Amino acid sequence: MSGNDFFALTPLLLLAGSSVLIMLLIAIKLSHRVIQLSSLFLFAVAFSSLFFIQKLLPYHIEPLLIMDGFSVFIMGLIIFSSLVVNILSYIYFEEKEDSPKEYYVLLFLCTLGACVLAVSKHFISLFLGLEILTVGLYALIAYLRERHHNIEAGIKYLVLAAFSSAFLLFGMALIYLQTGSMEFSMIARSLTSLQSLSPLFLTGLGMMLVGVGFKLAVVPFHMWTADVYQGAPAPVTAFIATASKGGVFAVLFRFFIMIDGFRFKVVMLILIGIAIASMIIGNLLAVQQKNVKRILAYSSIAHLGYLLVAFMPGSMMSIKAVSFYLIAYFMTTLTAFGIVTILSNKETDAEDIESYKALFWQHPVLACIFSSSLLSLAGIPLTVGFVGKFYILAAGLQAGLWVTALILVISSVIGLYYYLRIITIMFAGQKSILSEEKKANPFFYRVSIIALSVLTLLIIWLGVYPSVVISFMEYFRLK
Amino acid sequence: MNNLLWLVPTLPLVSFLILALAGKHVSRVWVAIIGAGSVSLSAIITLIIGISFLSLPPATGNYSQTLWTWMQVGGFNPKITLFLDALSLIFVFVITFIGALIHIYSVGFMADDKDYSRFFACMNLFVFSMLLLVLADNLLLLYLGWEGVGLCSYLLIGFWYENPANGYAARKAFIITRVGDTAMAIGLFVIFYQFGTLVIPDVLAKAPILWHQGAYMATITALLLLAGGVGKSAQLPLQTWLPDAMAGPSPVSALIHAATMVTAGVYLIARMHVIFQLSPIAQMIVAVIGTATLFIAGLSALTQYDIKRVLAYSTISQIGYMFLALGVGAWTAAIFHFVIHAFFKALLFLAAGAVIEALHHEHNMFKMGGLKNKLPVIFWTFLVGSASLAALPLISAGFYSKDQILWYAWASQSGNPLLWFIALLGAFITALYTTRMMILVFWGEAKTAIGHHPGKLMTVPLIILAFFSLFAGFIELPHNFGHFTLFSNLLHQVLPETVLKAGINTELQFQVLASLSTFGGIYLAYIFYYKQPQRIEKLKQSGFAMNLYFFWFSGWGFDKLYNVLIVKPIVFIANINKNDVVDKLYQGITFVTIRLYQSLSFTQSGSLRWYVMGLVIGAIIILSIQIML
Repeated sequence: MSGNDFFALTPLLLLAGSSVLIMLLIAIKLSHRVIQLSSLFLFAVAFSSLFFIQKLLPYHIEPLLIMDGFSVFIMGLIIFSSLVVNILSYIYFEEKEDSPKEYYVLLFLCTLGACVLAVSKHFISLFLGLEILTVGLYALIAYLRERHHNIEAGIKYLVLAAFSSAFLLFGMALIYLQTGSMEFSMIARSLTSLQSLSPLFLTGLGMMLVGVGFKLAVVPFHMWTADVYQGAPAPVTAFIATASKGGVFAVLFRFFIMIDGFRFKVVMLILIGIAIASMIIGNLLAVQQKNVKRILAYSSIAHLGYLLVAFMPGSMMSIKAVSFYLIAYFMTTLTAFGIVTILSNKETDAEDIESYKALFWQHPVLACIFSSSLLSLAGIPLTVGFVGKFYILAAGLQAGLWVTALILVISSVIGLYYYLRIITIMFAGQKSILSEEKKANPFFYRVSIIALSVLTLLIIWLGVYPSVVISFMEYFRLK
Repeated sequence: MNNLLWLVPTLPLVSFLILALAGKHVSRVWVAIIGAGSVSLSAIITLIIGISFLSLPPATGNYSQTLWTWMQVGGFNPKITLFLDALSLIFVFVITFIGALIHIYSVGFMADDKDYSRFFACMNLFVFSMLLLVLADNLLLLYLGWEGVGLCSYLLIGFWYENPANGYAARKAFIITRVGDTAMAIGLFVIFYQFGTLVIPDVLAKAPILWHQGAYMATITALLLLAGGVGKSAQLPLQTWLPDAMAGPSPVSALIHAATMVTAGVYLIARMHVIFQLSPIAQMIVAVIGTATLFIAGLSALTQYDIKRVLAYSTISQIGYMFLALGVGAWTAAIFHFVIHAFFKALLFLAAGAVIEALHHEHNMFKMGGLKNKLPVIFWTFLVGSASLAALPLISAGFYSKDQILWYAWASQSGNPLLWFIALLGAFITALYTTRMMILVFWGEAKTAIGHHPGKLMTVPLIILAFFSLFAGFIELPHNFGHFTLFSNLLHQVLPETVLKAGINTELQFQVLASLSTFGGIYLAYIFYYKQPQRIEKLKQSGFAMNLYFFWFSGWGFDKLYNVLIVKPIVFIANINKNDVVDKLYQGITFVTIRLYQSLSFTQSGSLRWYVMGLVIGAIIILSIQIML
């Protein structure tokens, strides 16, 4: 490896090194506060390192990794969301666990895994990244071992993830068998020399879709989502919903574009089916749901369906639409789970919809933040969610996906119902049943609120003035 | 300096955001500084821009500033662009300058109100929306401002919401203007359908190419736009909301319902003049509506006892003059009257507000009286405003602007003796009710004791407005004396010159006739209300006169008419269709959705076995599709 290779790998090395460093800091018995602040600092360092490697791009680290505009962008999103999750974690874990320090080590490892996914262009690195991410998540989901839901969620995730990884591995093996390579561009090359599509390759691709579909929680591989979202600690749920899905989606997108998987009619048909089913079933499942974490879980199923609509054309417009929608989805989801995190107390998370009653009259700022993130999830104009959805529709219609676009619109209407239901509850009534402001950690409480307010401002700012990031996305090339 | 333009609407917007979000935590002094200061700063920036615009006019006659493109997808790229030319410069000047004075006045006027910050927040939002309306370079943005001012008007009419009557007045204003707004929205659709763009300069450039003179599409579009203007500017037949809108605080009446928002219709027609010029019928209708309105509203003003309602009817009537001017193609005369009217009517409303406050919220003019010596500043400024409203010859600004309209009503190409005669009659009535109001409020014996005297914050804006009500007329002098045309020269960059059919040497006779009608009105009021009040008593004996009085007093029975023609039938149909038939469709959708939800939620059993089965079934489906196809 040359010096430049190391330089290009800085963000990943920093994340890996951070996890070791934090482990050492834990060993010398530093307090939770110090551990939290130093990991916050390390996340910020890793995030800013992304700006330093820009001039190298695009940079290949043969044969496993690729650093280009898109992957750095996805890494940025992932590290940013880990950073936000890290900020939110302090007040959440401080009151629930005695010394929740190892949590931060796991968070670094999961982030590293998601980032490896975002930059990989080889089955080996894909699988490595996926497993680093998943193994870390088993522990994170079950972190609050006093709560029985947590252990249950962790076990469920463990069994199902292992099961789906098997599918993924088998699919990769079949593709390797057919094409003789595990590197995306080599696979693409051997595919062009093939006269007709071999069933072996298609089966492999289908198996991979099962594995990836599980990670993305799209229908019909979605059933674990609500249970795990509900059982996991709120900040971890935020991480699963954003960073973990973002990394998997990025690698799937890169794989399909590099092998030009969009020309296989059968595969596209399956993807269309998955997208439509995810949009409809995801939204329908949330309609009368009473648990906010479950509502957000079902809504994330629908959102991944929307993303697939932008994914399918595989055009330049797709890249823009996917990238922008990922920003929108990350920011709004983080904000929504951030509110759940802040409002949670020692015994239970703030997941019962009734506990949001009259929130506006008690904590107007929190209610406004939550409302704007819900409106953005629903895709109301002047929020980033609207612009994102608009781009998805534009990308879909450009490719003539009329049916999917129509279903996107219809299912969004259903979605509006349950988002607005939460908002009306927040404004209804007079007396909130939630406790007063947390007095225990006023500093971190404030910091969390400030972080969420900044996210909210971004949600609105990008809804009004999206061209800042869109012009930046013009330069993404995936081939 | 023109690139400062974006600051003009932004400052009130920022101030609105601060006051709306944090108004409760800001002390009253700071609310006043932020609320009034932002608009004053906008006014100063407007002055700077105005000076640079006049001294170094842009080569194209206009200046546009693109702030940003909202999004760019294919051919759809809505831009947020501000467009400044002579017409919008004049409107921006009036909005910010008079707006600033009214804000300063409000600091004193609203000093004891408990919702101080809410008041200034709404006022700032109004100024922002109004500026957006006149600075928008495309009709979509204009429409945003148009709806924004409508919303603020609603919020401010119902400002004192504890009294249900105020809420009713606010709703009435909102709903009636909505009728016009809907027509206008349809007009915008037509324009977009025909031209493929809503950018105003493009539309105006394309219109004469696409439509020939008198084209039927041009008439339809012009009439739809006119309907929007009629609603906003309280012209016949949508004028009924404005008298009730007086439920709001006096500064609101001065700013929204006299100086700026109600003239948005005038702005719209002047801005889209090319389309109106293409349709002589539509232009004739504008003139007829204006004339009928000025006459009807003038007579109603004559019968009111509430001082603010007199002024409200007088506003409707004066905007009628502007519409008349637009209708006969006297574009610059309409805008000139708008500027002068903004000064003197804002002055009158503010002075009336001061009187009302001094007399413990007494609105009834018959319970006032004798204030001439007790409130000297108010008296003198009110006198100046009244003189301008009554168009007192030579010394008042109102004379120069109204005389111009009267003359054009006769002398312009599309002018006509009947229009001129009714407008002249209107001038007589104006002088009559203005003098009646003056005498009732300031002369005679005092009937209500004065509570407290208005402070400097309230009197200084009055004096400044009075100054302009007297002298602003001199920027545009008639042909026969001075022929000074600073104002119309500026506007002729944007608006066409008025085509005359009569020679300019006849103008003097018309000025004499106009002066005579003013003096006649003043004299008649002097006889009836000052010299020989018994004549009024005698009139009250006659049944016919009383019927006429009540007819005029109720605003010519329009409220009743609409009640019978529109409100009653709608309520009737709504009663029949209580369980809305159309709702069944939506109830069906809800039912299906909830059923689907219930059956789907069974799949979420929580059992791991079942979840694994789900994965396997999914895999089987995918693989079998691949094998079969």
